[in-house]
Amino acid sequence: MESLIETRGLTRRFGARIAVDDLNLSVSAAGVYGFLGPNGAGKTTAIRMLLGLIRPHAGEVRLFGLPVAGNRASLMRRVGALVESPSLYPHLTGRENLEVTRRLLGAHRNLIDGALDTVKLTKDADRRVREYSLGMRQRLGLALALLNKPELLILDEPTNGLDPAGIHEMRDLIRRLPEEFGVTVFLSSHLLSEVEQIASHIGIIHEGELLFQGPLSELQTKQQTQLIVGVKQIDSAIDCLTKAGWNVHHSVDGMLSVGAKTSDDAIRINNLLVEHRLEVFHIALAQPSLEDIFLTLTTNQSAGRRAA
Amino acid sequence: MSLLRALHAELLKLKRTLAFRVIFVLPFLVATLQFFIAWRTKRFASDFNLWETLQTSSLQIWAVFMMPLLIALVTALLNGIEHSDRQWKHIFALPVPRYSIYFAKVIVAQGLIFISTFILAALIVVVGFAAMYLRPELANSGPAPYGAIAKSASLVWLASWLIIAIHTWVSMRWAGFPIPLGTGIAGTFFALFAASAAVGKYYPWLLPMNIFLEGRATTAIVLGVAGGIIAAVVGCWEFVRRDVLI
Ligand SMILES: Nc1ncnc2c1ncn2[C@@H]1O[C@H](COP(=O)(O)OP(=O)(O)OP(=O)(O)O)[C@@H](O)[C@H]1O
Ligand SMILES: [Mg+2]
Repeated sequence: MESLIETRGLTRRFGARIAVDDLNLSVSAAGVYGFLGPNGAGKTTAIRMLLGLIRPHAGEVRLFGLPVAGNRASLMRRVGALVESPSLYPHLTGRENLEVTRRLLGAHRNLIDGALDTVKLTKDADRRVREYSLGMRQRLGLALALLNKPELLILDEPTNGLDPAGIHEMRDLIRRLPEEFGVTVFLSSHLLSEVEQIASHIGIIHEGELLFQGPLSELQTKQQTQLIVGVKQIDSAIDCLTKAGWNVHHSVDGMLSVGAKTSDDAIRINNLLVEHRLEVFHIALAQPSLEDIFLTLTTNQSAGRRAA
Repeated sequence: MSLLRALHAELLKLKRTLAFRVIFVLPFLVATLQFFIAWRTKRFASDFNLWETLQTSSLQIWAVFMMPLLIALVTALLNGIEHSDRQWKHIFALPVPRYSIYFAKVIVAQGLIFISTFILAALIVVVGFAAMYLRPELANSGPAPYGAIAKSASLVWLASWLIIAIHTWVSMRWAGFPIPLGTGIAGTFFALFAASAAVGKYYPWLLPMNIFLEGRATTAIVLGVAGGIIAAVVGCWEFVRRDVLI
């Protein structure tokens, strides 16, 4: 299958800090690709390089099989983008904002109504953008990206700052795009929960490095049963369980997560802790959510880095 | 072609902007001042030439003071609408070469300054006729020298291209008013000292004024136009290479 986005050894520094480190992305034409990473992971920096807004210090970007360097203008005809917050002229109306971009593209006039309709802004099209709510601004930003009927849509945290209803609406909108317009969506986010419902492929970036890339289902196979233990004396419990040969991690909410699989394991662990006079108040087997996997992937990585 | 598209887009962006309003206001200020001088002067000298005086004094105030500040203001406003909501990342991700965007900005600034300068030229004529009507002793000032006024206004404008190019680059490079306006104020301020010095012949902020001075006029036009084009090309060359980080 043709690769829509292909990066090889993509690297970018800011001063001494490496923002994107030897990134090899591969996005093929299919549905939604979720580009995940915590704040400061390098998502925006990578996206700016994809769009030719900043230059890499090493490596190259290929879109539709062609290097962006030297072909930017012709490749960008096939790409729509929304980087961080939407760029809008507040003194113009929604329709006029689209018209500015339309003129720059030299595209056909009737694309504007279609774009407005897709993001449900037809009713408010003739109001000035300074009167728009955050959600309306975000949808207009998406309309700008969709205006030229792109084959590839690059969205950088499109739900940032929206309320739950706005997030829901935006998510529904993005989910529809691949089917309705045949566009492939490359979507960055710092929340796995946000993309797991709509993405078919995932890339996880942390401190500039790609930790995982592949189908969502592959990430799901990494889900393993864990025993979640709530105990008052956390440090002693970690000590005690580690000595007994269990694999122990801090989980969310000050609980411990132990690499145990069966109810027999649970009984054994409970007895062990009680024998050591540790006060257990919660014990349960759990399937970790993808969020936990994401967290484990990213925290293990930084722990490993610090140790090294 | 992409330059035409960029210009077409720029025209729409001007709608409802302050940039498109100040270019009408400043010529009125100069003309109003001239009108009161012509109207309230107690006695005119016997060799007083209404049209000559009106034309040179209006256009000189314009050339040395009002227009340079207008250029600083207009370019800062024109590019301010791009900085305000971080538009560069959107515009520069479109299939339009960056140099087209840059030159469209230069050309629009030139166009606005042209309009403003010719509004002043038209107002000079209006003030002249008003003075002839209000002051009977000036009634015989003869027909308005339309050609001469238009020629001086055109030359003042051509000599301003270098200032426009400098300010376009500065205001694209730095968001907000402090640096662009500081540049304009500094440029105009040092013009006071450069005027009497030899360097005044080449000082960018004096070129529009120099078209009124014998021995400096040709240099002013050549340097204004050629220097303006070269400065725009150099500024563009620098700007298109920049990383778009905001
Ligand atoms: N203009 C800049 N100057 C200096 N450092 C920068 C700049 N832009 C980004 N960085 C650094 O590069 C790293 C990656 O930043 P980036 O904005 O790409 O992260 P991100 O994944 O988009 O984060 P977020 O989720 O917060 O948007 C960060 O450490 C950041 O501090
Ligand atoms: Mg970001």
